[in-house]
Amino acid sequence: MMNVTCNDRERIFEGGAPGEWAALEAHSANCPVCAEGLRVWKSLSVAAQEMRDYTDSPSLWPRIERALAEEVVRKTQRAQRRSWLSLLSSIPLGWQTAVAGAFVLVLTISAGWIYFHRSNRIVESDKSLLKSAALENVERAEAVYVQAIDKLAAEAKPQLENPATPLLANYHEKLVVLDSAIADLRAQAGQNPSNAQLRHQLLAMYQEKQRTLEEVLEARQQ
Amino acid sequence: MGTMGLALPWKARIASVPRERESRVEPSEQFAGGQNPAVVDAITEDAALAAGCRAGNLQTYERLYSLHGVRMRNLARNLLGNLVDAEDAVQETFLKVQRSIASFRGQSSFITWTYRILINTCYDARRSRLRKKEVANDDSGGMPRPEPRAPGAHPSLRMALERALASLTKHQRDVFLLYEVEGFRHAEIAGMLEITETASKNTLFQAKKNLRLILEPPRSSAAEAR
Repeated sequence: MMNVTCNDRERIFEGGAPGEWAALEAHSANCPVCAEGLRVWKSLSVAAQEMRDYTDSPSLWPRIERALAEEVVRKTQRAQRRSWLSLLSSIPLGWQTAVAGAFVLVLTISAGWIYFHRSNRIVESDKSLLKSAALENVERAEAVYVQAIDKLAAEAKPQLENPATPLLANYHEKLVVLDSAIADLRAQAGQNPSNAQLRHQLLAMYQEKQRTLEEVLEARQQ
Repeated sequence: MGTMGLALPWKARIASVPRERESRVEPSEQFAGGQNPAVVDAITEDAALAAGCRAGNLQTYERLYSLHGVRMRNLARNLLGNLVDAEDAVQETFLKVQRSIASFRGQSSFITWTYRILINTCYDARRSRLRKKEVANDDSGGMPRPEPRAPGAHPSLRMALERALASLTKHQRDVFLLYEVEGFRHAEIAGMLEITETASKNTLFQAKKNLRLILEPPRSSAAEAR
């Protein structure tokens, strides 16, 4: 048995070998100071046992088990999502190139198809532009036609203002009605210039006015 | 030191229990869940647990729980101060083991690795709780206020020790809890806290010296006692 003194006590507490501990125990049998020091030191370990509570919680494992199972399900779902990507990497390089080529081809065809249909749409919209140009032509021709009729009206004006016969008076009334109808149709045509029906009605009114004025002028010559 | 007495009823109520340091029981043997510890080869058991967990075998996780669940819960409770947080930490530890078992390289034992995860999870929980200011006016540097427990043999002793532990540094407290309460060896503690074995021994000595000072009654009352 090795020999220890009171001075060795703290050193043995810090990291004494089993033999040194045994020697300290033996020394403490005859040294009340070291006996008390040893007892207090060991009491700390004894007190630590009071902080042990190894009673099982019956709900803890079922809870952990459920969480682990849920994690497995989540992991499986993630793996399934990833498998699509991993599938691509498992395809040989030649096939990957072929798939990429096919994809590019599909893209090219789609782009061509879209371009072609867009061009058609441009042509259609060009047609609508021509339609607008035709409308302008119609309006220009109509203006010329109206001027010509106004010249006829100016020639017939003296007879119509002072009608010598009941026939001329009837012509005058007829022309007043026609002018009123023409004014209405022009107003409607102004709001809707592309309405072909209105244009036809207006043209018919002008033609009727023209015929009436020609009849007035013929009646003057007679 | 003289005939120092502690401000605790230890002298009268607790018989001195000599600690056979050289014959300290391996934790994995001590908590073998009812099986004969003599036939359990700790290394084989550890390897089997690691392999089963790596394979995703839920029965292995249950075995891990039956061997270490109560001790993990107790350690987490002493680190966090309440049972609810402790059980959350244990559950989180099992999930972390499941998620990261593929990264376990066997540099330490599987059980040491698992306890390291548990301790880190408790640190994270403690930090998170401090951030949320759930422990208002806590002057113990992160040590939680322990919640009441079922009365043991020496409740006043336990409460005094819990208060004294709150005065230690985090490292001293953790080493004391792992060594003295949970019964781990310095080699295991070194693996769990990622320190050297010598550092673990020194930290334990400093922790116990500080505890002795904190729990020591004033000199005058000690003299009166004599």
